[in-house]
Amino acid sequence: MLEQLDFLENRVIRVGAEAVIKEISWKGLRLVAKHRVPKRYRTAEIDERVRRSRTLHEAKILWHLSENGQPVPLVLFIDLANSIIYMQFLEGVELRSHQSPLRYAERLGEIVASMHSMDVVHGDLTLANILAGEDTGLWLVDFGLSAFNADLEEKAVDIHLLERSAASAFPDKSREFMHLFLRGYSRVVGREKTSEILEKVKEIRSRGRYVVRG
Amino acid sequence: MTIVLGIESTAHTFGVGVATDEGKILANIQKIYRPAKGGIHPREAAQHHAAKAAEALEEAFKTAGIKPSDIDAVAFSQGPGMGPCLRTGATVARTIATVLGKPLIGVNHGIAHIEIGKLVTGCGDPVVLYVAGGNTLITALINKRYRILGETLDIAAGNCLDSFGITAGIGPMPAPEIKAGEGDTIYELPYRVKGMDVSFSGILTAAEKLLQQGKPIPNVCLSLTETVYSMLTEVTERALAMLDRSSLLLVGGLARSRRLYNMLETMCRDRGARVYVVPDEYAGDNGAMIAWTGLLMLRCGATLPVEQSHVKPRMRIDEVEACWSS
Ligand SMILES: Nc1ncnc2c1ncn2[C@@H]1O[C@H](COP(=O)(O)OP(=O)(O)O)[C@@H](O)[C@H]1O
Ligand SMILES: [Mg+2]
Repeated sequence: MLEQLDFLENRVIRVGAEAVIKEISWKGLRLVAKHRVPKRYRTAEIDERVRRSRTLHEAKILWHLSENGQPVPLVLFIDLANSIIYMQFLEGVELRSHQSPLRYAERLGEIVASMHSMDVVHGDLTLANILAGEDTGLWLVDFGLSAFNADLEEKAVDIHLLERSAASAFPDKSREFMHLFLRGYSRVVGREKTSEILEKVKEIRSRGRYVVRG
Repeated sequence: MTIVLGIESTAHTFGVGVATDEGKILANIQKIYRPAKGGIHPREAAQHHAAKAAEALEEAFKTAGIKPSDIDAVAFSQGPGMGPCLRTGATVARTIATVLGKPLIGVNHGIAHIEIGKLVTGCGDPVVLYVAGGNTLITALINKRYRILGETLDIAAGNCLDSFGITAGIGPMPAPEIKAGEGDTIYELPYRVKGMDVSFSGILTAAEKLLQQGKPIPNVCLSLTETVYSMLTEVTERALAMLDRSSLLLVGGLARSRRLYNMLETMCRDRGARVYVVPDEYAGDNGAMIAWTGLLMLRCGATLPVEQSHVKPRMRIDEVEACWSS
């Protein structure tokens, strides 16, 4: 059915370990197609099941977040037979390669905090998955590893991953970045919750893992 | 020539190895405790090790063609592992070191699996998948430390397959993988991957439930091995992509699995990477890997005073500075 929709493929944005991201257009709209590609190493039954359930999960989370006013791409269609999500194209630059990431830190804190207030975690909160637009516009993408009903530890992992990622992308600015991030974060959830989660972050850090993400 | 004696006793195996600074393994003696029924009992295993220690040492010296006084240092596996087993090995090592007046070296068991793999395959600077009965992790050497990129959140992959085999009455690995060869249907089992971490306890429970429902054992074995290996391959691919490396080293007892190797091979081929696998004789727990890693550590002076040589049942590989790495 989706074949009849007349997509025009424009360019490949990214080939990741799991998915190929393409920019396409449909009736003059710019869209992104996230295609979870088949893996030859897996038996077909398992491969199809895994790709389909992740695609569905990511779409569900995106829907849920959009409905609640969070800045994530709108989902237009999903092609479950091929594990493809068609979503809104976001005009932005990955925060890891942005000129002035500090400008976005506080706003990012607010966004992550309000998502955490819904007990949703991103699960892979690195700067590659945060897109910055003009002014202070900001979006989160890549919810394949996200979760509903998240607990404190999972929320703390989000913050920990972000910190790690900032430290490797711009080592000299990462402290200030996190400082601003937490200011935004605690504005939404309050001081008490913020210090509770920071305790957990400390604990995770001391376990010495989640170390080198991009 | 520098010669190091290595003693392994973290679980089933009491092993004695002898390695030289030229990277030669002169001896690799293994005495394996096999419980009559069920899983491993740490105390019984420790008793087995204590009973076999003298014999294993004697065989090692004989095979290597050396005298105890030819040894330059004594290495032992300090952790992670089962307390009683570790203590048996450590006691033997301390005794020999003290009697000979030679330095003692506490080796991390996981790092030893990796270093012997690097030695015998010559694989350069890889991402490592270390899968065994008691451990499952993905790691790579970054700034002189084996960083844990991913690991199991509960039981090890090997433990999952062994436990299932024992419950099903066919015995531990490789029995489940062999039986899987007769299967023709794949049932759905929970596929739990979180970033680069994996979880296997839910799969084990689900597979045991299928058994109770009377599903044919070969089919359950096939479902189980295919699911477990797919998960391992997926997280390994993530790690390769993240670090942008093109070689993979497979070590640990489960490195003997042909099917796991095949999957990793296919994944690597599809992304232009290469997979290296430790040969069977060094895949399971062994003394040679302890001796060789002890030798590397001796080169940078990482010896251990006897009074600080307590065992560490929960030791992690990222606790150790890999001072020998360049
Ligand atoms: N809706 C979108 N609009 C614009 N760019 C996007 C969109 N979704 C993803 N991207 C870009 O593609 C990259 C990879 O997409 P992502 O969903 O993170 O997949 P992966 O699982 O491969 O990381 C992102 O880092 C981002 O740069
Ligand atoms: Mg991404």
